[in-house]
Amino acid sequence: MVPSTDQLKSERILDELKARQRTKEVVDVEEERVKVVIFICGANCYAFYGADIREILPTCEISWVPCLPEYLPGLINVRGDIESVIDIRHFLGEHKSSHGSCLVAMAVRGDFHSGIMIDSIEDVVDIPLNSIHPPLTTLNGIAGDLVVGEIDHCGKMVTLLDIEKLAAKITL
Amino acid sequence: MSDYGEANLSLFFFTVGGVHFAADVEQAAGMAPYSGECADDLFWFHEEFGFGKTVAYQTPVVVTIRTRDGLPYRVIIDQMEEIVEFRRDDLRLFPEILEPKVMQNGMWAVLPRHGKLVLLVDFQSLLQHSGLTVN
Repeated sequence: MVPSTDQLKSERILDELKARQRTKEVVDVEEERVKVVIFICGANCYAFYGADIREILPTCEISWVPCLPEYLPGLINVRGDIESVIDIRHFLGEHKSSHGSCLVAMAVRGDFHSGIMIDSIEDVVDIPLNSIHPPLTTLNGIAGDLVVGEIDHCGKMVTLLDIEKLAAKITL
Repeated sequence: MSDYGEANLSLFFFTVGGVHFAADVEQAAGMAPYSGECADDLFWFHEEFGFGKTVAYQTPVVVTIRTRDGLPYRVIIDQMEEIVEFRRDDLRLFPEILEPKVMQNGMWAVLPRHGKLVLLVDFQSLLQHSGLTVN
């Protein structure tokens, strides 16, 4: 760039600094990121926002409670606190995994807290917010109601689920 | 009640279909081995508590429930264990999302014990919620 003769050096430097600042802001906006927990359930990959998952519990004994619907397999004891467990496969139309064992993701959003049965954890990653694509229109029914969007992880499409929407489905 | 007064609760433990339960001993007016009888005031525990499946009883016991209105109400439970006194502080609440459903079905608290979760049942509450009439 040819310096303008009627512009002071300090002004030029200031302009450069401001331009750099604007570029940085644009980059910052583009790079706004969010943590997601990617997991396997049945035959597919799903994710929750990391902020909604307090911890992942290893395989633990679920105490069955009579009178509850099939998607609520029972209770677990988390260091003295009794928590419910949701079998999310019911809502996603997934089948029970062949190996039988599962993990429990402890989900917390506002007043809602519950364990959620998952088959395994795939990854925990920070992704740019703008990499979350709108949900596929082909996702119908209950599963479609839970979906926030789709993300690409290592070439695989991952369905991002909303804990709040899941909580709204639990009506007893 | 015990010498510890209101702070403690005496519970009788039993297991039906592999699920662990306990109830306040004050609700039991009597217990006797089940001898195969049928009566209008006699109910199987798993049917009362919505198991939704058949259950094979191993050592059935008839518990005569002390009802508020004095009506006869007997429930057949299984694998009766000991009576133990617990501090009320040992009891845990059901998770909020389950509470309406379990309360409606006579379950009101959880007691972690020996690595298991014991469901506390209230026969009087069940009777009240179910609108069950016994003759």
